[in-house]
Amino acid sequence: MVFLALGLVVGVTTVVAFLNIIQAMKVDLGDRIDEFGANAVILPRSEGVEVHYGGAMVSDLTFDFEKLTVDDIPKIFSSSVAEYINIVSPKLVGAVNINEQKSLLVGVETKKEFTQKPWFSLQQSLADGNAISDLALVDVPEDAIIVGASAAEALKLQVGDQVTINKKTFQVFGILSKLGSEEDGLVYANLTTVQELLNRPGELSMIEVSAYCNACPIEEIVMGLEEAIPHGRGIALRQAALFREETIGQFSTFGYALSGMVLLIAALVVLITMLASVNERTREIGIFRAIGFRQRHILQIIFLEVGIVSVVGGLLGFGLGSLVAKYAGPFLAQLQGDIPLQPELLLPAVLLSTGLAIIVSAYPAIKAAKLNPAEALRFI
Amino acid sequence: MSEIMISLKDIKKSYKSMGDEVQALKGVSLTIGKGESVSVMGHSGSGKSTLLSIIGALNPPSTGTIEIDGIDIYKLSQEKRADFRREYLGFVFQQFQLIPYLTAHENVMLPLTTTKRSNKEKREMAEEALIRVGLGNKIKRLPNQLSGGEQERVAIARAIVNEPPLILADEPTGSLDTKTGDEIMELFQKLNDEGLTVLMVTHNPDNVRYLGRTIMMKDGLLSLTQEDPIKVVTNKIV
Repeated sequence: MVFLALGLVVGVTTVVAFLNIIQAMKVDLGDRIDEFGANAVILPRSEGVEVHYGGAMVSDLTFDFEKLTVDDIPKIFSSSVAEYINIVSPKLVGAVNINEQKSLLVGVETKKEFTQKPWFSLQQSLADGNAISDLALVDVPEDAIIVGASAAEALKLQVGDQVTINKKTFQVFGILSKLGSEEDGLVYANLTTVQELLNRPGELSMIEVSAYCNACPIEEIVMGLEEAIPHGRGIALRQAALFREETIGQFSTFGYALSGMVLLIAALVVLITMLASVNERTREIGIFRAIGFRQRHILQIIFLEVGIVSVVGGLLGFGLGSLVAKYAGPFLAQLQGDIPLQPELLLPAVLLSTGLAIIVSAYPAIKAAKLNPAEALRFI
Repeated sequence: MSEIMISLKDIKKSYKSMGDEVQALKGVSLTIGKGESVSVMGHSGSGKSTLLSIIGALNPPSTGTIEIDGIDIYKLSQEKRADFRREYLGFVFQQFQLIPYLTAHENVMLPLTTTKRSNKEKREMAEEALIRVGLGNKIKRLPNQLSGGEQERVAIARAIVNEPPLILADEPTGSLDTKTGDEIMELFQKLNDEGLTVLMVTHNPDNVRYLGRTIMMKDGLLSLTQEDPIKVVTNKIV
């Protein structure tokens, strides 16, 4: 019975520790994904119609258009979902002429924008002409622009070049590394500067929001943002949400599969131990049967012993698993901070241990009960 | 009410061993009356243990009938036979066969475990059985804290705790010295005097003087049935 208890304790300890560590890793992974890019965007709410004439669409008309402004940003931080908000990156987008070519100029708060999008890097910059990988740390001057890779090619721009945009002179501070997305064709500048340049003081085209979704799904966060900014329309960036869901889902599946394998091994240990125990106790079982124990009495004895041992195994396993998760988990999973324990795992741990032991012990128990007492007593 | 405790009619038992058929019993017919004490003697392989296991409702014969106290025991289901063993039979196995992690008291209580009696009644009956065999002062001892003779007494107490009418004993003095063996045989004699029917397999010719009748077995058959135990003791056993 000692080996049976040991097998169950090891199995339950591993599963409890695993589940605690996996949960912490899911939260950590979720947070890291949430820090990687925006998962929601707020656009100005507007009504619009498409104008058709003679079967062709002539134009679309937008009315009841309420602008987003910089005054809307504090509302996000005082909304019902403020606790989930990580980064808020406002933007103003406008069409300008650069070197006699139409280009999209995006006004951003550079530190926030590039913190939200850490994959942005400069292949060249004015900072000693070197590449910069962590753009969020860079102070971009107010009269500087950062040009996307494709835009730099099209506009024939190099680092250090002077350009005139709407009669204002800017210097090319850096050229972004190729991203393979629409950002390659954009030109970035300081938000306030762009608002002045486009004569749209305080105005915003959109507000990109990074939120932590571990405790709250993105749809609820978007609803909270819309409540805070009624004239704004919130959109969950589906791809970001799907990517997050998929990644965490895959990770969880892997974690649970591993836990399942450990349980399978524990089940095998229980089975082998019980078969050995029944073998060892053949004589004893023969005596029980000879003195009048029915088959069901033998089953009761075995299941009662297994039940008691497995409850104890479950309790010990939960305790040890929690300790392993608390003290070894951060090191094993390379996590910062403590791993929060889950006391709600106690009952499932005990039920798991007991259920597993009883199910797996069924075959050895039935084998014991069906022992021919005359055969069993030949061992004497 | 029948005065016959055990009735065997042409009992044959064969079983397969290494692909060959072995006939352990070749046609044994026997009756044992209530209150008798009978020893079964014979060399190894003569069929004594097989006979005992058949009478003990543990091993169905290949052919033939056996009745104990008028009950055809092999017409009962396996589970009913277990109930029968509990109520009608008391087994004393070779080498005591006590459960080592149970005290003397707990070992004796074992046959009562599956009865509907209260725990108090079970404890009292077990204690009484131990007193009856002279071990009233050692009920809390584990088997390894008892001598061979004392362990044998515990085994006998376990056999009689349910007050069965029939005791089956397999070599009860096999691992005991002569003096202790004699004490045990005296105990069996005392139980028989109290009305229990005793059937004992034994190799020891000294034991037969404590018992009323001797049955000799050879090659799966009864070879001799002696009424007078003294005659058997003075005869050389072949």
